[in-house]
Amino acid sequence: MIQIENLTHVYPASRKTPARTAINSLTLTVEEGQFCILSGPNGSGKSTLFRILCGMSLPSAGTIRIAGHDLFKEPGKARAEMGVVFQSPAVDKHLTVGENLRLHADLYGLSASVYAERLAEAMAWTDLKDRLNDKVDTLSGGLARQVELAKALLTRPRLLLLDEPTTGLDPASRRNFIDALHKIQRERRMTVLMTSHIFSEAEDADRVAIMKAGNLLAFDSPQNLRGRLGREMVVLQSRGAVVLEGRIRADLHLKTRRHGDEIRLEETDNGASLPILEKLLATFRDDIDSIAIKQPALEDVFIHLTGLQKSDTSENGEVQ
Amino acid sequence: MIRVAFALARREFVRFMRQPHRVIGTVAQPILFWLFLGSGFNASFHAPGMNGVSYLQYFYPGVMLMMMLFASIFSSITIIEDRDAGFLQSVLVAPVSRMAIVLGKVMGGVSIAMVQTLIFTIAAPFLGMPLGLPSLGLLILAYVLSSAGFAAMGFFFAWTMRTSSGFHAIMMVFLMPLWMLSGALFPLENAPGWLHAVMIINPVSHALVLMRGPFYSAPAQLFADHRWLLALGVTLVWDAVFLLGSMARVQRREKGAPA
Ligand SMILES: Nc1ncnc2c1ncn2[C@@H]1O[C@H](COP(=O)(O)OP(=O)(O)OP(=O)(O)O)[C@@H](O)[C@H]1O
Ligand SMILES: [Mg+2]
Repeated sequence: MIQIENLTHVYPASRKTPARTAINSLTLTVEEGQFCILSGPNGSGKSTLFRILCGMSLPSAGTIRIAGHDLFKEPGKARAEMGVVFQSPAVDKHLTVGENLRLHADLYGLSASVYAERLAEAMAWTDLKDRLNDKVDTLSGGLARQVELAKALLTRPRLLLLDEPTTGLDPASRRNFIDALHKIQRERRMTVLMTSHIFSEAEDADRVAIMKAGNLLAFDSPQNLRGRLGREMVVLQSRGAVVLEGRIRADLHLKTRRHGDEIRLEETDNGASLPILEKLLATFRDDIDSIAIKQPALEDVFIHLTGLQKSDTSENGEVQ
Repeated sequence: MIRVAFALARREFVRFMRQPHRVIGTVAQPILFWLFLGSGFNASFHAPGMNGVSYLQYFYPGVMLMMMLFASIFSSITIIEDRDAGFLQSVLVAPVSRMAIVLGKVMGGVSIAMVQTLIFTIAAPFLGMPLGLPSLGLLILAYVLSSAGFAAMGFFFAWTMRTSSGFHAIMMVFLMPLWMLSGALFPLENAPGWLHAVMIINPVSHALVLMRGPFYSAPAQLFADHRWLLALGVTLVWDAVFLLGSMARVQRREKGAPA
């Protein structure tokens, strides 16, 4: 559904800033019907990729095909296949919910009868039924997001692009939004590409892509990504983490990774965590504020992958 | 394309009508201006070749032009709001012709300007300048054509602006002189030669000729008047240039530097 090949985007230099490579020869294929999450630390190039995908900017090099159409040569055809939900609101706050949906239907050329049908469909899964005549700026954040999603789905796109669609929502509204999205995605076998920092949202995705500094670090299913770390790990917190890490390495000969005050022993074999934890407690009890055995979650994989070159993270255990 | 443009234009209009202060402000200001200035100058006025025309009558189409000019141009300021509020991005990713995006804004601006100008037209018979139906039709044609040109010009300049105060400043610097030198305030027949030259290239003065015509001449006369036909031609060219220029701006996508 989406074929990205050797995509590179360089922001031109300006008077104050040098040229900056936001995407570095990225190649990625999203199959039809997949739910794909795109993640990465701030500044990794997600929004840049998103803007290129929805046809708002042109890259320095590379090609993208959307549903078989070359995005840069036939933008109109590619646009007709996709729905887009932006991170920032993209509706007219001074118009009512109904007027916004109607306008969107006009932009995509839906006939009146198709529109009526799709509107009824949207009313079935949203909580907007009684709010159609209310202006969008009177809605709560959660309802306003529902309007954005309902609007994008009105045209029954084969591909839905979402840029951090749940920022600013409370956990309950976020859950609602994601659940509705998943349900519709399955029913319609729609392809979804969504950027997100929230890993609970990525756990039920088909594919998770992790970017850093314009490079694609990983693109795999959540299970396989979790499998990249050992099965479990020991995580401990200490105020003297720097010193303690050195002592764990020297005295116990264990591989460690540190993120601020947190020390992780990631490559523990199955069942080995408990003895390690006991040994740590026996040796360094006074330096440890808290300690636990954790099953790796996607978030841990993310921290593992994206932390590799970070200055704040030491990798003594592996390097030496 | 027309359907998309109409849908976008309707949105402009609905938004405008929901902001009463915008409606009141744009109608009241020129009326006051016209009443104060007009009554002040009335006694001493004598237009060459226009015997028996009072200054109030002379100035009337000029004020009409000013209303139309400002309403048209500043209607484009909403592009800046649309961009800030995020609405524009959803229009840009829609599979619609870029000309429809321009036309939607321009038609919205024209319709808003029309409401104001038409209300103002009601004053014409009371000033002793009654209009027959054919003349009224020509007047409306003049409104639409010149308004579209100025709305498109506003679009062209607003597209790359980031703040509405910047747009205001630039447009005032441009427009005020153009309007004052258009013949709206005083007749330019006995003006110095350089002013005459300015008038020939000033699109606002052609718009004024276009709008003033139906008040003084019958439609058949106008179509034989080369001065009026010239104004019509200039205005049509003006429309086309700025509509196409604006479309080119919308079409341009931000592009990455060569890798
Ligand atoms: N308009 C721009 N001009 C110049 N550089 C830019 C521009 N937009 C983004 N960048 C740079 O490109 C890089 C990628 O930015 P981008 O916004 O794509 O990251 P992101 O992954 O979306 O980050 P976040 O998680 O914070 O949203 C960053 O280094 C950023 O500073
Ligand atoms: Mg971003």
